[in-house]
Amino acid sequence: MFSVIIYGRNDSHGYNLHKRAAISFNALAEVMSDPDDEILFVDYNTPDDHPTFPEAIHDTLTDKARKVMRIFRVRPEQHVHLKSKTHLVALEAQSRNVALRRSNPNNRWVLYTNTDMLLVSREPGQSLSQILGEVPDGFYQIPRFEIPEMLWEAAFDRKDPAGNLEKLRDWSVRYHLNQIVHNFMPMRYDALGDFQAALRDDMFTIHGFDETMILGWHCDSNLAARLALYRGRVDTLIDKVFGYHCDHTRVAAANNKGRKTTMNSHDQYIWNVSSPYVPAQADSWGWPDVEIEEVHLDRDTSYQRYTAGLDKAIKPATTPFINTSCEWHLFDDLTYDLPHTLPFVCDQVLTYPKATALMIVATRADFVREFAVAWRGMGFTGPILLPKECALDVEDPAIESGRFADLLKRTELFLFEFGLKTQKIDDPVRTGREESPVDRKQLKLVERLFRQAASTEGETRPPSKRLPRRFIGVNVIYNKYWPIFTDYVGANINPFCSQVLAGVPLAVPVTVKEKILKFRKKKAA
Amino acid sequence: MSKPSFLLSALAGVGGLWRKKAANALDEDLKSADPERRGQALFRVGRTHMRLGEIEPAISYFDQALELLPNFAEAAAARAESLDMLGRLDVAHSDYQRARELWARQHPGAPDRSYVFRQRGRFTFEVESYELALARIKTGSFPHLGWGNALLAQGRPQEALACYERALKIKQNDPDLTALKGEALAMMGKYRDAIKAFDVALAANPKSVETINAHGIACAALGELDMANGDWRRQLQLLPKWQPAARACVALRLADYEAALPELEQAIAKDPHEPYWQLYRLTALRRLGHPVPAVETPAGAAWPAVLIDLQCGRATPDDARHRAETKGEEAEALFQIGVLAVASNPQAAQGCWREVVERAPPALVEYAAARNELSRPGP
Repeated sequence: MFSVIIYGRNDSHGYNLHKRAAISFNALAEVMSDPDDEILFVDYNTPDDHPTFPEAIHDTLTDKARKVMRIFRVRPEQHVHLKSKTHLVALEAQSRNVALRRSNPNNRWVLYTNTDMLLVSREPGQSLSQILGEVPDGFYQIPRFEIPEMLWEAAFDRKDPAGNLEKLRDWSVRYHLNQIVHNFMPMRYDALGDFQAALRDDMFTIHGFDETMILGWHCDSNLAARLALYRGRVDTLIDKVFGYHCDHTRVAAANNKGRKTTMNSHDQYIWNVSSPYVPAQADSWGWPDVEIEEVHLDRDTSYQRYTAGLDKAIKPATTPFINTSCEWHLFDDLTYDLPHTLPFVCDQVLTYPKATALMIVATRADFVREFAVAWRGMGFTGPILLPKECALDVEDPAIESGRFADLLKRTELFLFEFGLKTQKIDDPVRTGREESPVDRKQLKLVERLFRQAASTEGETRPPSKRLPRRFIGVNVIYNKYWPIFTDYVGANINPFCSQVLAGVPLAVPVTVKEKILKFRKKKAA
Repeated sequence: MSKPSFLLSALAGVGGLWRKKAANALDEDLKSADPERRGQALFRVGRTHMRLGEIEPAISYFDQALELLPNFAEAAAARAESLDMLGRLDVAHSDYQRARELWARQHPGAPDRSYVFRQRGRFTFEVESYELALARIKTGSFPHLGWGNALLAQGRPQEALACYERALKIKQNDPDLTALKGEALAMMGKYRDAIKAFDVALAANPKSVETINAHGIACAALGELDMANGDWRRQLQLLPKWQPAARACVALRLADYEAALPELEQAIAKDPHEPYWQLYRLTALRRLGHPVPAVETPAGAAWPAVLIDLQCGRATPDDARHRAETKGEEAEALFQIGVLAVASNPQAAQGCWREVVERAPPALVEYAAARNELSRPGP
């Protein structure tokens, strides 16, 4: 019957986003009763190494919410062409159109709302699917009622949507929440963007949201203006459903700078709208030709993929714990425990697109072998590019060998491993082992390729990529490769136990001169 | 008195005059013998009371409006909301329902035409809101446009034209506003002026399917059928496949039944309750010489149910003509009578279609179809 369209990203937009959103997702799912109903969440521009926002809070969602939710992941690389034109990191019009294009064609209605709304049917027990199934074609809005922050934060149980909706029925009377704020046509009510129900067909006819609106605000009013023109009227569903908004103004959201807020032009996009249509984007709205990843919370989840990959690659531990050491006298010992390290490496790649082409430059053949097994097990379909220069004898369906210089231009993600070529899987770890000539030779090679890849990243980027590629370093903490890796890559400080650092190349690598100057300054101080 | 304050006081005077004029117009409407004018005025007084929180008097005005105009959906909706505000949702519920049914019952215009003609309602609520907006929004064309559309949809092209002209003063040379100005001119019968406006609009947006359609209608009205058909063929090329109803209507204007039939079948699959798609499908089947299946009489709508009955042999041509209440319905009936007759009596059919061309509004699908039928070599 209807597709709910919402958007966001894995950040902290406004006060206590995680709770607000969980309350809202669960409450929206609660008022769905048609098998075709769906919540379409467009996760816009979340960094590639993060999970999508709903994935990050999935444990706070009800089974029903997880079942009805489809997540469309718009990658930073897909947003990059708009990056210089806007100060915003998530774009409403693009997000909502991406979802509309991919919405269930069986659904008659599209409901535009946000991740902090709860809808309470006035007739207890009536679902929104029933309500929308009974009303004639049209464009419907409802007024938005505010819930004080204290109420939703303190009293709502994220996983009890029915209980929350019941509480709202009570509070609305006890605390006089239901105040309708009327507005000029075409915005029949204030804050109209939290409930605009339109026919899916109408939305296609008018070419979705206006994608030139990239400065934030008024996208909802522009839609109202265009749909009001198209339909002639703005109808209300006030007799059927009340909409409540979890107020979140304790902390200003990123798009709210008070009087200094940059906005789309009120005049251009509301008071001088002269057509329901946006012909300039008739063929392009919602990016019909762009492949957008779809993520689910009830099947093929990241956790399922992760464990499937690791379970294929490593066997369970046979001892209660294992030992290593970060004592400084072991600084030169490059041994590490592979089964312990692999989960942290896989964690770094899991959120990337399945078709990613990853280059692996390594010292240890067993590392490459186990990683390749895990890679396939996690459902990756892209190749593992292994430079011939590494001279590692590993065969795996995912591995493609080639000249380093050629593979560089195809690589989307880098993985550099600094270990000892001679280390066997059962060898003791960090006991003061020294490099053998074989180890030294292999490490020199990996280091050379690393420096080359990192310092030429901008020039060797594939033509389809506009953003810097990420480098993952394995076994680069508390050893001599720590400074080398971080001379080139802007990585966080990570615990030694995780063994892994990652980041994108620094604009300018740290030079020896810089290091000397820093050292002298320190001495002088 | 300083210069700014002098100006302000002068402007306040102008504002006062405007308000006085508006109030006088409302007073006149309240005294009018025309139920439409009086009903709408009562509604507006009711809305004023509603805004003031005087709910009981508001309801009384809406009751009076509904007594005069029982199909006044806006009044039913406002009455419902007023009752709801008084906590009487049980009573309000039936009014909310009534309003929705009244709106839904009004048949929208052809889907290949401008969106304005597909709107349903009196738009009294919207016009009032646009008027209020205009008191504050001085640099926006939108309220003028919305107001103009409401008038055009109600068949008041002269007043609509004035609104579009005001909008065009703010947003000069805007192609969309110019196209609507053309629609108003066409509705007034000023087809040559309308074509000029459409040409301006199409120069800026040559793919505007609605303007192309309107251009075709104006050309057909002037007897320039080849040019009109050229427009509609182009419109058909540009219309997306997922708009089968619009595509079917264009094909029907061209009297291209072979192109229309599959579109109509898709339109029926999408909207099985729309009687016009059923009727037009029967029309296409008959004109293509295919067997015409018996289709059930659609429930509820009196029109065009009788035309479906006519095609299925359950009604006579006289029944169809007698049930027609408007010029448009009469033309639709005549066209279908022609379709029914063409196989056995082509001359009678041509007579019917000629009558359609002479009497029907040129925007009607049947008008264009009849013109195209007549342009073909006779038997």
